[in-house]
Amino acid sequence: MDFLTALHVSGSGLSAERTRVNLASSNLANAETTRGPNGKPYQRLDPVFQSIHMGAQDEAPTVGQSPLGVQVSQIVSDPSPGKMVYSPGHPDADANGFVTFPNVNPISEIVNLLSASRAFEANATAVETLKTMASRGLDITR
Amino acid sequence: MRVFDNTLARLERALDVRLVRQNVLSANVANVDTPGFKPKDVDFTATMAAIDGAAHDPGGVSLPKTPTLGSSTSDTSGLAAHDLPIVDVPAGGASFDGNTVDLDRTMVAMAENALQYGASAKAAGKKLAILRYVVSDGQG
Amino acid sequence: MNLRIESSQGLAEAGASNRIDRMDRAIVNPGGADKTAQFGSELGKAIGEIDKLQNAADTQADAVARGAGNIHEMALALEKADVAMRLAMRVRTKLVDTYNEIMRMGI
Repeated sequence: MDFLTALHVSGSGLSAERTRVNLASSNLANAETTRGPNGKPYQRLDPVFQSIHMGAQDEAPTVGQSPLGVQVSQIVSDPSPGKMVYSPGHPDADANGFVTFPNVNPISEIVNLLSASRAFEANATAVETLKTMASRGLDITR
Repeated sequence: MRVFDNTLARLERALDVRLVRQNVLSANVANVDTPGFKPKDVDFTATMAAIDGAAHDPGGVSLPKTPTLGSSTSDTSGLAAHDLPIVDVPAGGASFDGNTVDLDRTMVAMAENALQYGASAKAAGKKLAILRYVVSDGQG
Repeated sequence: MNLRIESSQGLAEAGASNRIDRMDRAIVNPGGADKTAQFGSELGKAIGEIDKLQNAADTQADAVARGAGNIHEMALALEKADVAMRLAMRVRTKLVDTYNEIMRMGI
């Protein structure tokens, strides 16, 4: 375990949180999209985080001796049903006049956004701390 | 004749252990949102005590990596993670997805670790600077 | 050798024969050989250790150059090699100075 590995680990955290931010933004942007590219209302997306062992940049990680980074193993769409709103004049209304809106709750998306952003900053602080440590280590030589 | 003494060796070991701890803490921060993740830490004082004990009774944790003038061994295998007691951090409270990372505590631990690393590095550097001064007869 | 016997007889009154006897014994049976051998091997050992430090510093610097090294280990190895080499230079200078001093003394 050395500086490069730690940087790699924090870098993985930064990437994963950035993905989460992107997904939350996408959900927010599509909160009212009643017809997506597939013709159906927008389904909100969630990232699935998974720990992975990390070595330094080019080395294969040795399990048990390397720290755990994180990766987004998959992006799943939330299958829960969206809100049904009675609006007969809407172009996407069904036979009964109900329009299905996306299952996006803006409040919880914003909470996700804030949480991801806090985690992102924490990882960025970790990188800064590591840089300071490395420079102190180098200062041993005069 | 021992030019590089035990204190310097211990400082070197401290630097290595602190770096491993930094890796472990960074891993905790990176996984703050991973479901089911249990944070880890290195018990620094216990590790240093174990290294001190092992140094007097070889066969334990490895000695300094760089050879020491006058020492009989120079182990270059280095300090690997499996040498250190990397322990699970006890969970503070309940969590709905199994993740028990306490981000604020971890950030504080990381700051403290970095500070101590800097202090050890400074101490080692100063010791070597003094040696260099003496050996160069006061010039350079 | 005849010369030695004559000179020892000549200096007998001065009490120098003792010293000459000792010198004879030293030439025939150098009892100081052990000390010389010890110093030589000590010197060799010390040079070997300094070499080890230089090599360790090289290895660390190499590792960093390849991108896989540990920063503080490299810094420490380089500093130790620096101190060791300076010490070696001081010892060498001292030895050379001492040697010159002895050569200047004359007998």
